[in-house]
Amino acid sequence: MTYKPLLHAVAATTMCLAGSAQAHFQLLYIDDTALPRAHPLELAAVFTHPFSGGPTMAMGAPRMFTHIDPHGERTDLLKALRPVQWQSRDNQASAYRLSLPREAVRTLGDHTFLLEPEPYLEAEEGLYIQQFTKLVINVGGVPGNWSEPQGLPVEIQPLGKPYANWTGGVFRARVLADGKPVPFAKVEVEYLNNDLDLQRNAFGANAHVRAPQASFNVQSLYADDLGIVTLGLPHAGWWGIAALDIGSTKTYNGKTLSQDAVLWVQATDMK
Amino acid sequence: MKLKQFQRCALLATTLLCGPAALAHGPAFDCYLEREGQVKCVAGFTDGSSAVGRKILVRDLGGKVLLEGDVGPDSSFGFQVPQDPYSVTFLGGEGHEVTLQSADITP
Repeated sequence: MTYKPLLHAVAATTMCLAGSAQAHFQLLYIDDTALPRAHPLELAAVFTHPFSGGPTMAMGAPRMFTHIDPHGERTDLLKALRPVQWQSRDNQASAYRLSLPREAVRTLGDHTFLLEPEPYLEAEEGLYIQQFTKLVINVGGVPGNWSEPQGLPVEIQPLGKPYANWTGGVFRARVLADGKPVPFAKVEVEYLNNDLDLQRNAFGANAHVRAPQASFNVQSLYADDLGIVTLGLPHAGWWGIAALDIGSTKTYNGKTLSQDAVLWVQATDMK
Repeated sequence: MKLKQFQRCALLATTLLCGPAALAHGPAFDCYLEREGQVKCVAGFTDGSSAVGRKILVRDLGGKVLLEGDVGPDSSFGFQVPQDPYSVTFLGGEGHEVTLQSADITP
């Protein structure tokens, strides 16, 4: 009986340590990024901790949500976003969903989605986080503008197709700020460990993998002197890549602002 | 000797220029219904090369060619929806034909 408080303290410390070893990630999700033919799309934008399936942070109304079609034509999708309450492992928080008709993506080639969220106040650290997020999908196999920078203040430029990666492969990308490479940028990589249930606006209950220790929840690495980051994709599913605090805007509402760039990459099993 | 060297260089250049494209090249084709009874088809190749000028055939179920045309500068080809069931074939080169049945062509 007397050791129970100690156990509780250890458990609480473990949870805190585990929590600190995971990253905030602006998730921009779609079921599949490589479509044989166009079909209606369901997207979800959730600000969360992807490896642990939460906790999820409340998103403010995004500042920009844009679709770029294979011809480079941009469509503002802000008005099509609908706010939802997202159920994560241990909390609910506001997130956004988008339903796109087949007509919007039926042109063969690459379709890019860009999200500029409202900065999120991380109260515990007393700073704002704003993650500019990019998702590239392909229809029909015709390659397009997947590697082109899209003019975001901070951005991850894919050096391989983000939608055509075998499990176990290697992915490379370049970290950009104001269109220029960021040498030695701090980068975090995290696996989306729970399936998404888009019917329920929730993470699935079962995690795909278990980390042997908290350091594995998120991989930390640095870009090289050319701003290029190289990572492996050891498991099928979604991998988030975030380059941290690389923007030139450093304050917001009188507090420190971390402008991060996020790219999502899908790995697919060879069957 | 010089001629042989030239031939080797030419062969190497041809291999480099044509080999990867030939290996990676595959057709991509889709059609959908547009407003006012129009079908729009788009064509391309998986290596990003252009399909402009390639032939497209519209046939009835008996195989009779109803319409023949070329992929336009915007990689598309449009036509009026035939009254009866039909198929559309993109002739993307040898081994690169893609056929869609009208039942699979939706808005």
